[in-house]
Amino acid sequence: MRRVSNIALWTAFLAPVALLLVWSFAWRWPWPAPLPNRWRASAWTDLAATGGLGAAALRSLGIATTVAVVATGLGFVTSRSVAEARAREALQWLLHLPFALSPVVLGVGLEYSFLRAGLAGNLVGVALAQGILAYAYAVILLSGLWTARVGAFLEGAATLGATPRQAWTLVLLPLARPLLALCFVQTFLISWFDYALVLLIGGGRVATLTTSLYQFVQSGDLRLAAASALLLLLPPLVALVTQAQPRPDALAGEPDP
Amino acid sequence: MIWALVGGPLLLSAAFMLAYSVGLTGLLAHGLSFAAWATVLDDRVTWISLGFSCWVGAASLGISMLGALAVLALRPAPVARSMLTPWSLPIAVPPMVAGLSAVLWLGNAGALARAAYALGWIRRPADFPSPIYSTSGLGIIVTQAALVLPFLIVLFDRLSRVHRLGALDEAARTLGASPSLAWWRVRVPLLLRSAAPTLGIYFLALSGAFEIPLLVGASYPTMLSVRVVQLSGRFDLSTRPQAYALALLYALGVAVSSAVARRLRTSTPRTERI
Repeated sequence: MRRVSNIALWTAFLAPVALLLVWSFAWRWPWPAPLPNRWRASAWTDLAATGGLGAAALRSLGIATTVAVVATGLGFVTSRSVAEARAREALQWLLHLPFALSPVVLGVGLEYSFLRAGLAGNLVGVALAQGILAYAYAVILLSGLWTARVGAFLEGAATLGATPRQAWTLVLLPLARPLLALCFVQTFLISWFDYALVLLIGGGRVATLTTSLYQFVQSGDLRLAAASALLLLLPPLVALVTQAQPRPDALAGEPDP
Repeated sequence: MIWALVGGPLLLSAAFMLAYSVGLTGLLAHGLSFAAWATVLDDRVTWISLGFSCWVGAASLGISMLGALAVLALRPAPVARSMLTPWSLPIAVPPMVAGLSAVLWLGNAGALARAAYALGWIRRPADFPSPIYSTSGLGIIVTQAALVLPFLIVLFDRLSRVHRLGALDEAARTLGASPSLAWWRVRVPLLLRSAAPTLGIYFLALSGAFEIPLLVGASYPTMLSVRVVQLSGRFDLSTRPQAYALALLYALGVAVSSAVARRLRTSTPRTERI
């Protein structure tokens, strides 16, 4: 029973991926043919073309990597003050709010102030807007790091004569590495998946994979839309495979109350 | 410092929306005026969008909850805890890709319509009962439910283990309850009670979805998030104050709802939390 349901679930996931793959190579696929009449790899060769899908993919990759590095770094440094704050519950509620709100509302709200600050319509503005969501997520995740167990490790290091810097680099960072890796991946994906903030803050001048996908669907080019979708699926699948082993719970010790 | 980093952007965003919506700033500022708020509150489309968003959120969540309960009933063995399982795969699917897949599978000329033609069930694309662009929101509901279902299976499975519901189930049966009675009167109420705060957050997220409704939804009625973007005036700036008023109203509703959900969660015994 378990094996059958696993096969069914894998099929349910792989069948849409297979259909996207077929569409990305379909040159002519008229109704009601079960398969394309003509096949071409032009959607994929377009990847190398200047200003094509490849540029959008590289732009998405650059924004997402920047957002992930900054959010994880800043989240790591500031998560301790959230974990130890007296008004921790209120801070946690505030951190969860951007996720409960539709990113559209956040984007619409930021749009005008970003326009005034000269941040609308460029990569920096898009990365900054996505960074707000990613930073909130990083703090939520990394505040689970500051348990009594980690505190005891740091105190032990100080007792043995370690400077604060040594305690951070030689004790805390190795302890935090799995959680930091998870945080990096998740914040990367927040940016990678985002469409609303790119649309609103980018104002049509910043093309990423998600905005390209939408434009291809709107223009009826399902071949390029499918190729964009497959590219969008690639990093999260790689992340799932690479993160299949370590579990942050082991480090965090206590669940987030 | 931490309050500024965490709350600053939200506060800034809310302050700008409020100031713009009452005519104190922006390209159309002509002094204090509540005209945009009055228009939004008077507009039938606002309330239709709100109702439609709630309907889509509730239906998506309801279907995925029923699906998750059905899977757990048919498959009592615990779900694998590794991150690379069929259950974790939807994490890898961006909403945009889910929307496109829905169009390619469920559209009038999609894969299922072609299969139906091959089987002789339909003769033209229009004969296929496609849920895509349906005014009932069926396409959005099906797509969102498919994305959320695996998460709920994992959630319910974890809660079942935390509560040791298997043991409670057995106790109920020892006391004479039939398997279905034990399921519906013991397991399901306990599961739903302890999952309520998380389900509340899911409801908010599904009601505020943007990408899937944009790709699979009808042009009318629209979800609130789509309505906000329409009003924010990609071409007509005169409706922008209304967009800010609507976005603020929505944000206020979500803030209150999430505070209530959080209060519920903190009042839940620690052992029952996920």
